[in-house]
Amino acid sequence: MDVLASLQYLLSGFGVATTPENLFYCLVGAIVGTLVGVLPGLGPIAGIALLIPATFNLNATSAIIMLAGIYYGAMYGGSTTSILINVPGETASVMTCIDGYQMARKGRAGPALAISAIGSFVAGSLAILCMVFLAPPLAEAALAFGPTEFFSLMVFGFVVLSNVTGASLLKSLMMAMVGLIIGTIGMDPVTGNPRFTFGAVSLLGGIEFVAVAIGLFGIGEVLANVEQPTESLEQQVLVPRFRDLYPTLQDLKDSLGAILRGAGIGFGCGLVPGPAPVIATYASYMVEKRIARHPEEFGHGAIQGVAGPESANNAACQSAFIPLFVLGIPFAPPTAILLGALLIHGVNPGPMLISEHPNLFWGVVASMYIGNFILLLLNLPFVPLFANILRIPKKVLLPLVMLFCLTGMYSVNNFMLDLWVMLGCGALGYLMRKWAYEGAPLLLALVLGPKLEVAFRQSLMISHGGFAIFVERPISLVFLLATVGFLFLPLLRRAVRSLTRGRAAVA
Amino acid sequence: MRRAVGVFLGLVLVLGVFGPVRAADFPTKEVQIIIPWAAGGATDLVFRALAASTSKHLGKAVVVVNKPGGAGAVGYTEVMQARPDGYTLVTAVTPLTILPHQIKTAFTYKDFEPIINVVEDPAMFQVQADSPWKTLPEFLDYARKNPGMITVGNSGAGGGVHLIALAFERTGGVKFNHIPFSGGGPSITALLGGHIHAVSCSPPEGIAHVKAGKLRIIALFSEKRMGAFPNVPVVREQGVDFTMSQWRGLAAPKGTPPEVIKKLHDAFKQGMEDPAFVKNATDMTVHLSYMGPAEFGKIMAQDHERYAKLVQEIKKQ
Amino acid sequence: MAAGLALLLFGAVTAFLSLRLPIGTLRGPGSGLFPLALGLILIGLSVCHLVELHLTATTPPTDTEAHRDDGSAWRVLLFMGVMVLGTAFLTVLGFPLVAFLLMAGLLYILGVRRWQRVALIALCSAVASYVLFVRWLQIPLPKGWIGL
Repeated sequence: MDVLASLQYLLSGFGVATTPENLFYCLVGAIVGTLVGVLPGLGPIAGIALLIPATFNLNATSAIIMLAGIYYGAMYGGSTTSILINVPGETASVMTCIDGYQMARKGRAGPALAISAIGSFVAGSLAILCMVFLAPPLAEAALAFGPTEFFSLMVFGFVVLSNVTGASLLKSLMMAMVGLIIGTIGMDPVTGNPRFTFGAVSLLGGIEFVAVAIGLFGIGEVLANVEQPTESLEQQVLVPRFRDLYPTLQDLKDSLGAILRGAGIGFGCGLVPGPAPVIATYASYMVEKRIARHPEEFGHGAIQGVAGPESANNAACQSAFIPLFVLGIPFAPPTAILLGALLIHGVNPGPMLISEHPNLFWGVVASMYIGNFILLLLNLPFVPLFANILRIPKKVLLPLVMLFCLTGMYSVNNFMLDLWVMLGCGALGYLMRKWAYEGAPLLLALVLGPKLEVAFRQSLMISHGGFAIFVERPISLVFLLATVGFLFLPLLRRAVRSLTRGRAAVA
Repeated sequence: MRRAVGVFLGLVLVLGVFGPVRAADFPTKEVQIIIPWAAGGATDLVFRALAASTSKHLGKAVVVVNKPGGAGAVGYTEVMQARPDGYTLVTAVTPLTILPHQIKTAFTYKDFEPIINVVEDPAMFQVQADSPWKTLPEFLDYARKNPGMITVGNSGAGGGVHLIALAFERTGGVKFNHIPFSGGGPSITALLGGHIHAVSCSPPEGIAHVKAGKLRIIALFSEKRMGAFPNVPVVREQGVDFTMSQWRGLAAPKGTPPEVIKKLHDAFKQGMEDPAFVKNATDMTVHLSYMGPAEFGKIMAQDHERYAKLVQEIKKQ
Repeated sequence: MAAGLALLLFGAVTAFLSLRLPIGTLRGPGSGLFPLALGLILIGLSVCHLVELHLTATTPPTDTEAHRDDGSAWRVLLFMGVMVLGTAFLTVLGFPLVAFLLMAGLLYILGVRRWQRVALIALCSAVASYVLFVRWLQIPLPKGWIGL
């Protein structure tokens, strides 16, 4: 549709979104979302599902405004616990733990929190703009990704992102293998055969990602702290001074690039099926680390390591709405629930949605913008409050964190196994810390692994066993070539360098 | 320090007592419906809507709890072991009669008391609107001449629509190439993108796209034509004697007293007839089909036998 | 070193167990193919790692993390022990009670000795989390025989 008509519609959308009741629902959604994001384990899926019944009496537009608010609100809230106590509030906040928590330990929790709020806002807003003007063609492009393309994309992503944090490639790859293997536990997605379940019904569903994430990062960190001498337990993590509570101008300047790049990466990732926000955060971190002027800072409190991933996950969350609204197909679990909510309210998402329910679509889009703004306003003043949580002496804070994790984890699936997995991974995370193994590759592999395998087998089934399919299809070929290029680039560079050096020596 | 704690406790008490209105109507004995799948699926939506409308008629809150895992095994096992006092129910859907044949489960449909059936959705095959096969005979003809070439997606290996596709193969005397996906959504996406030739699914999957003209229903496996698509003939009308659909209802653990079952049945029936729920269902394009306990029980038994044979077939492949 | 061996073992076990599953062929991959490949790759990587360690072995790193005080290792074990117990009894005793006991136990391990303090903090936390999760967010938490 042409730009002028879009703008007109957008304006009328603002009209819809700014009615007092819709503003109220937007606010409620944002608050619940933030709360849900802050609590470890509980993610937007649970939050949205819990509130659907409350929306039965509302009209469709208000209902979706509120539920959508929960989704992107959760992205804002998730960073809070990641930064403060190294517990990922939900899956997309895992990357934020890495540098965010280190910043907190240096007394810079405030700037970290603030930058993640600001970055999220900027990225979210940009994503919405893109969505408005590019939605239909982008959605069509997303359709071109079938199992084969998806497989090659994931191979590329996997190879590129595996060594995102650590120094030792070998160790990271081993962690990634472990993650892939853990991902195979449960029912084989293609044939339904149980794998590695030893007859236990509870293992049929596989190992819950959130349990592993919270265990490895949050509980592992808690245990590492417990081991420290008792005097340190009397202390707080670090007391932030007032003037350290907000980012400095330098911080803002440093982060700007990261935020913009994160927005772009996140937006792209959201369009592709899969757990987009998680992948977006990994990709953004990777990019930032690669192009940073001081890459050694990463892992020790580089602000770009917070700004990039946080922006990326918000942008991904916004762009995930595109396939939902335009195609009627949810690419990520939270949007699947939103689909349900739409259906309950009699709105059939699909190609007809925008033309049949323009008020709904543009109203929701406009309210997303407003929602992002509300969230910024909500989160910034709370930064000192949250940062002050770190004032609680560790001996009280650590047990609270454990209780928090336990409760949050249970609330995801009401599943005792998750708790045991979480504790087990806590012990594992503690050991990994001692032996210098990274958790990030394991988590990425856990997320991507099953999908990678499914895509591989689906492709082979479609092609009746022919491997040619992977190089016959253009998009797939592109990604495979990119993977090969990435792997051999360092070698190539070295070769070129030695060649030119040779020539220079001769000359 | 003490003052802070005092204020804190005071706040907690106040908030606990005067919390959001919903907290107030949360009595000690609510009825729980366990859904053995993750939130967001078709079953989830239908029963969340039903729970809301039935709460009024039951006089107590009806709460939906998701217990995903093991393609439903986890949730069903838990309810089977729950106290048969009517406070823990489970959504009984077609996979209940399929799963025990695929993996060693602790339960079969016999471990549950049927209460009521709510929805019955026809299965169907969809193709792209511009696909070369315009009618079912053309489709089957091509399939006969090229066995195993037509790729048919489904929402999961061994799931309801997959087995329905397999059963259709046997009746129609053809062979397809079945490609499993992780759910109805991805299978429809693959069809839209042209990565597969057809898809086996059931409403509301794909319906919006059919309405928009992007996809076409090429085979409809119900007894009667669908109200929303009066021009689509059912497979029976076209010469293939085959009908199969999926049902979604409620069940309780075996041993639940008959009076309790009756009370639950009556309340849910009223909930089903509630205009708000009916509107929800129509909007979702799900087909309401009430069945009482006896009838529902018979259907479960029938399907259990039917799928036993089908699953044996797959296992041999 | 220990880690390398552990990983090697893990890979081996994986490969072994996946042989019991249908492997299928490359044309029609079965359930066991992927895990088998993964297990083998992991074995390969661990071997490389162990070899690398052997080749670059310098003096074994002095235990810079020498126990700061003799309690440290114990504390970690106790801490985990309390968590494990708490989780095990969660469904039996119900959430509020376990929350209280858990907090009390952990606080004690970490050095909060005045029992009034312990009780007070534990009580506040248990009550607050109950109100937050069960009442406000309507999340069903285990009930236990008390029935809360």
